[in-house]
Amino acid sequence: MKSSNPAMYPPLSQRLFSVWYRHMRVYTKNLLSNGLPPFLEPLLFLMGVGLGLGKYINETWDGMPYIDFLGTGLLVTAAMFTAAYECTFGTFIRLEFEKVYDGMLAAPITVNNLIVGEILWAGTKGLFFTFAVMCVLMAFGIIRMPAGLLTPFVGFLTGMMFATLSLWVTSFVKTINHFNFYLTGIISPMFFFSGVVFPVSDLPQNIRFVAEIMPLTHAVRLSRAVCASHYTPVLLGSVAYIAIFTAITGFLAIQRLKRRLVR
Amino acid sequence: MRIISVKNVNKAFGGVHAVCGLSFEVEEGVCFGLLGPNGAGKTTMMKMIYGRSSRDLRDGGEIRVFDYDPAHDELSIKYLSGVVPQENNLDDELNVFQNLIIYSKFYGLSGSVARERIQGLLEFLELSEKAEARIRELSGGMQRRLVIARALLNNPRLLILDEPTTGLDPQVRHLIWDKLRQLRAQGTTILLTTHYMEEAFQICDTILIMDKGRKVQEDNPRDLLRENIEAYVLEVPIANGAPAIQESGLPAGVRLDHAEGTQRFYAQDIDRLKSIVDKLSGNQYYIRQSTLEDVFLKATGRALNEKQ
Repeated sequence: MKSSNPAMYPPLSQRLFSVWYRHMRVYTKNLLSNGLPPFLEPLLFLMGVGLGLGKYINETWDGMPYIDFLGTGLLVTAAMFTAAYECTFGTFIRLEFEKVYDGMLAAPITVNNLIVGEILWAGTKGLFFTFAVMCVLMAFGIIRMPAGLLTPFVGFLTGMMFATLSLWVTSFVKTINHFNFYLTGIISPMFFFSGVVFPVSDLPQNIRFVAEIMPLTHAVRLSRAVCASHYTPVLLGSVAYIAIFTAITGFLAIQRLKRRLVR
Repeated sequence: MRIISVKNVNKAFGGVHAVCGLSFEVEEGVCFGLLGPNGAGKTTMMKMIYGRSSRDLRDGGEIRVFDYDPAHDELSIKYLSGVVPQENNLDDELNVFQNLIIYSKFYGLSGSVARERIQGLLEFLELSEKAEARIRELSGGMQRRLVIARALLNNPRLLILDEPTTGLDPQVRHLIWDKLRQLRAQGTTILLTTHYMEEAFQICDTILIMDKGRKVQEDNPRDLLRENIEAYVLEVPIANGAPAIQESGLPAGVRLDHAEGTQRFYAQDIDRLKSIVDKLSGNQYYIRQSTLEDVFLKATGRALNEKQ
């Protein structure tokens, strides 16, 4: 049957913005308790591990002191963790307990809009968390300006990449405790074996390819390159990896969550 | 103008048929009630209307809302409608005003238009004094009114409410009914689900009684009453497990309905019920006019289904 002309509902950009805006307002409502930890965590980490442990490490790592090496890695792990938590526990609670999506999906947005809005919001949180680490690194004199100002954008891409992966995982989860498998089984190991605390080149030759499969490895590589303003052709591979990984997991997440939200 | 047209719509979840071959139409400015026990398929039917649930396509059912098909034009339908879901899903972190502001973005309202409209809606739902209150400080009735205000943000032509007054006290229920009547008087079309007969009787122009996904009755409340149930009921509690009146001794024109603990006698003529009362020796009894509840129980049966 022929359809009438569509009503004057808001354009795609406005629909995505309104999802993002809702999350932003709720997050910034508790500015102090939500906004302080992103600055404190890297501070503690750099003081404890970087200064404390780093004193015993005399060699340079990829041509920099250990604290610099660690710090430039923390820029993106902060984005990874916040996006992973936001799109597992955060999304699941909105979906199952608070029924937030029931209200939002009654407004003129589609499930696709809702999920892409979540991803953009997680990217924004990644941007902010990386920005916080950047400020701390600046205070320690680890990061050079203005090159360092580009790192929050790497944080944005990292946040989006882990948002899509986490949403895809969330689409399978029936009870909230199952997220522990993902967070301790996948996200935490990535922190240790993706070139954040030691270079990937130090891994045994025959398992090094595992690190290359991990998404975080590519985010770390990009972050270090941006900090050093040292761009090599290898980075194109990492950028392509991030783009393709985000697109594929994002597509899978949307397909599966759609079936869960529109039944 | 016809706002909603549903033709032979089916919906199954796995092997469970939530909605079976349902058809109905809602004209503009009408308050239409879907009435039925829990698990009758009311909420599923309602969700299919605004695209939150998808109808089974293989059976050729059809839904048109403002002449849009929710399977293809859900955005148009949702832009012209307001939805009050079964559960209040307000953002606890935000206050009353902020809860409405974040939803104004979904409709693309500019800041000044949104503020003005929110002020008007808070006034309309008698929440003006609570504009700055946190959600946790609101009573259940206030939260419900806020969800209704949220659904009204875009001046909807169709208001969809899923059990708008379940669990609320009588004062709030009457207030909400009153507001819904005012909206209807302004031309808003209303579709609601309820399992309160009184609610349906008070505000609906047309009632569709559903059971197990199917239509059982559809009519305006008064005709439903007149055509489907006798005018008067006599209720006699069963004391000590022995019914006070035997079925065999009933006068003509009296129908007996057995329920656990109570015998109910239905009759068009109140005098026949009084003649039964004369035979009662000291038993308690109660004669009243029949209500929609009697129609409902007659139509859907007294036995509980697995969802109740």
